[in-house]
Amino acid sequence: MISVHSPIVAVGVRAVTPLAVVVAAYLFFAGHNQPGGGFSAGLVLGAVLSLRTVAGLYHPVNGSKLMAAGIMVAAAVALVPAAIGGGMLDMVVWSGELPLLGKVKTGTAAIFDIGVVLIVVGLVDAVLDGLGTDDIAIETPASTRGAQ
Amino acid sequence: MPFVILFVHAAAAIAAVVTANRSRVTAVVAAALAPATAAVWGFTALLDPDTARAASFTWVEGLQLGFDFELSPIAALLTFAIGVIGTLIVIYAHGYFGTPEPTLGRFLATLTIFGGSMLGLVWADSVWTLFLFWEATSVTSFLLVGHKHAGSGARTAARRALMITGAGGLILLAGMMVLIDATGTHLLSEMEAVTGTTATVAAVLLVVAAATKSALVPFHVWLPGAMAAPTPVSAYLHSATMVKAGVVLVAIVSPILGGTDAFTYLAVGLGAATMFWGAIGALRQRDAKLILAWGTVSQLGFLVLLFGVGSAKATFAGVAVLAAHAVFKAGLFMIVGEVDIRTGTRDITELGGLHRSMPVAAVVATLCGLSMAGVPPLVGFPAKEAAVEAALGLAGTERLIISAAVIAGSVLTVAYTAHFLLGVFGPNTAGPNAANVDTPVRPRRMAMTAPAALLATASVLGWLFDGTASKPITRAAAALNPKADVYELINWPGATTAFFVSAGIVAVGAALGVARSRMLLDVPRTIGANAADGLLDETLVIARRITARGQHGSLPVYVVTMAFVIAAASLIFVRPAVDSVGELPLADSPGQLALAIATVLAAWGCTRVDSRIGAALALGVVGLAVTGLFVVQGAPDLVLTQLLVETVIVVGFVIGLGRLRRSFPVTGARWQQIRALVAGLCAAGVAAALIAAEGAASSATAPPTERLVTEAVEEGGGNNIVNVILTDVRALDTLGEIVVLAVAALGVIALGRPALMTAKTPISPPTREEVRA
Amino acid sequence: MSLALVFAIAGLVGFGVHLITARSLSRIVLGFALLGHAAVLALLASGGPAGDPPLADRATSAEMANPLPQALALTAIVISFGLTLFLLALARRQHELTGDDLVEDDLEDRAVSALADAEAAETP
Repeated sequence: MISVHSPIVAVGVRAVTPLAVVVAAYLFFAGHNQPGGGFSAGLVLGAVLSLRTVAGLYHPVNGSKLMAAGIMVAAAVALVPAAIGGGMLDMVVWSGELPLLGKVKTGTAAIFDIGVVLIVVGLVDAVLDGLGTDDIAIETPASTRGAQ
Repeated sequence: MPFVILFVHAAAAIAAVVTANRSRVTAVVAAALAPATAAVWGFTALLDPDTARAASFTWVEGLQLGFDFELSPIAALLTFAIGVIGTLIVIYAHGYFGTPEPTLGRFLATLTIFGGSMLGLVWADSVWTLFLFWEATSVTSFLLVGHKHAGSGARTAARRALMITGAGGLILLAGMMVLIDATGTHLLSEMEAVTGTTATVAAVLLVVAAATKSALVPFHVWLPGAMAAPTPVSAYLHSATMVKAGVVLVAIVSPILGGTDAFTYLAVGLGAATMFWGAIGALRQRDAKLILAWGTVSQLGFLVLLFGVGSAKATFAGVAVLAAHAVFKAGLFMIVGEVDIRTGTRDITELGGLHRSMPVAAVVATLCGLSMAGVPPLVGFPAKEAAVEAALGLAGTERLIISAAVIAGSVLTVAYTAHFLLGVFGPNTAGPNAANVDTPVRPRRMAMTAPAALLATASVLGWLFDGTASKPITRAAAALNPKADVYELINWPGATTAFFVSAGIVAVGAALGVARSRMLLDVPRTIGANAADGLLDETLVIARRITARGQHGSLPVYVVTMAFVIAAASLIFVRPAVDSVGELPLADSPGQLALAIATVLAAWGCTRVDSRIGAALALGVVGLAVTGLFVVQGAPDLVLTQLLVETVIVVGFVIGLGRLRRSFPVTGARWQQIRALVAGLCAAGVAAALIAAEGAASSATAPPTERLVTEAVEEGGGNNIVNVILTDVRALDTLGEIVVLAVAALGVIALGRPALMTAKTPISPPTREEVRA
Repeated sequence: MSLALVFAIAGLVGFGVHLITARSLSRIVLGFALLGHAAVLALLASGGPAGDPPLADRATSAEMANPLPQALALTAIVISFGLTLFLLALARRQHELTGDDLVEDDLEDRAVSALADAEAAETP
């Protein structure tokens, strides 16, 4: 696998992972009102996957499953409204008060975005899988750049 | 109702294919049911002509896309004829194809689809609908002519038919577009008469289109060849229905273009020439089916001549002959098929004494033949009589020319009718059977004889009940020419001039025919068929030459060729671009200028850096500079996405290309570098011109930002308008986009796992023999 | 739209086409990536002048940049992203099979061409 067997890198990546997941979650929920959205969130999670792969903490083999799940989620959002008598891809908006979070506004568009996230993460996984299956001697400077 | 009938045809076609191999009867019944429904509908329309029957389905309003059907009186008449003959033909086909016949399902399905197309064609009110169904009949005719595709003769004939009628379809489209332009409507029923140069152009195009479909000289060459089709097809398409499409076209545009000299001269000229040439062709044949085919060519010429003359009486005669011809010619073809099946030959030099061994067929053929010759007591007589009267009723030179053409053509018609009847059923006077030995025959098949007998009976009844028969004909003629509503079929006119002329025609023609049947002539190959086939061959040769030059095999050559073609095609944008460059500001802000320069410099770096990783880094710089331009433009979503994408792409470059040599391979010769450079320069120029022209155009209109904002907040429930557009307004596009991503990713996985692709050795090109095989 | 943007787009297209005429797949990848950037910029540029970010709670619609081309451009970025990654996998595969990432002349195409030539010559 494309991994550098360095404990320092492994520790650093372990430390960064939860941070990046939080950033991804923020981007995901911010998307409807501010820059961000499912695609950006998926890419951030994908970057985490790349880092963990390089650090030897993850084996990228789940790409096709993630993408299949993503397409099914997105297709469900597309087709369910049509099945219950609406137009295809009709979106519903909910808003209400939640404890702690305050006023929340969301809708089926958010579920659609989950599908996008899954596909993008699956894509990055697939790239790591397809492009990096063999042992590859990576030049050090390049690998650090790729891992940022 | 039209849509229901078309749907029934489609369903019947599917049913015929599905059931043919399991239950032949089910398939035949299904296929017969479809034309039967059309016949019933046509019949109700004939009984109750005052009710308007129309149906429309609009797909795209502004583009006039959709189906517009209207059952005009002439369409009602034709619907009835197509339906009744279609039903009889299906029954006849059941007898014609021996059991078991594996291709019967395919045959019945194609025949049914043809029937539906033909009905759509006669119902069409919209020009587009007409064109669509016109082409559909060409295609189904191609399939039916080539039904016995194992023989190269059928394939050649089918291809020739498709080439001629297909080209005619395009000419029809052109002509109709001229008409739409001139009249401002695409509905035939709303078109006003057109005059002047436009009318001349439209007339030439439309008459030529009609000539291809109705096999007028010089496009007639496909029809005799089409006799390679099974006889039910010849009886249905190539006598009763499809070839009439051209005649009907001439008839329905005659009110619009009738006042144009070009229309009259061309229709009358082509019609007369075809009438002669077809009749002479019929007299030269020995194959009974070909006699009828050439006879059909002649009759089609006669019909176009009558509609081209355009006087009220001629129009009436045209409709009458049209109807009578459908009935008698289908019957005659059916008899020829029966003779073919029961004796094994259609060559009249091998047939003898069939009037003894096939008496029913002989009677039926004689009745249909006499109708064709215009002899009482058959419906062909009053129809022909009307035509002679119409010709004699004209004035001046016109009277002389048209009368001469009609009389001479009719004499020849009688002659080839006699040639046919004596040749097939009379004693053999030529060839190996000349000793008057009766040709042995196989048992009769009721399914073949009965439909033909019905049609012969109809010809007799049409004469007997001339008043009833003439009503729909008069109505149809009056719809084309209002003055025609006074005419009707008269079964026994008494001692009029026309009657004596007709008697003379029959006498002279019969004498000619009897004389002809005593001669044995060699049949020359159809003149013109060589030309048509040669044109096709030449087209193929040119196509092969282009392939030989263009199929170079080198990717750079393909790319450069495309770049130059696009550049050449874009030259028209240069002028507006030069105009608009002056109107554009240098830059929206100083930062934009700097970033634009940085972008181009980094892109240049991409092409100059020799090391792979270096080039990837240069690409990253381009990405950053472009991201900067997004910032200036005010697109934060793009900034975020571009940066993240950039990261993943760099990861991809590093792990994907890490094992490749550090530097790019040395590029080819100097001229190749120059070629690439020129291609790049051209592309840059084109891009600049296109964008600048677009910029000038877009700055003229304000973007609909206001509305987008309101709807995004109120209906999409979000403040980030770009995101709302992506997940709500354009959600279907986004769905497609993520599917594309998934497919690309699957490709990456497949390419990356050697286990999935094991071909380690380069694939060798197939040898020529392999390609041929 | 400004001359600066026209210049940037023209430059990207020019160098992009220059790169995709190369035989090395990794250069072709670079070329496609540049063309992708050019397409995105062209979409943005055709949408009107620069403006404030299209966020409804932070800018009025009059000051806002046209959001529609941005949405189209986002799709364009994503698609060219997928294309780039696929081409990279192709280059890598080519390297595995042939030891380099050059696009060879298509021998099949050559065979078709030769066959067509022979047939054209055969026909009288």
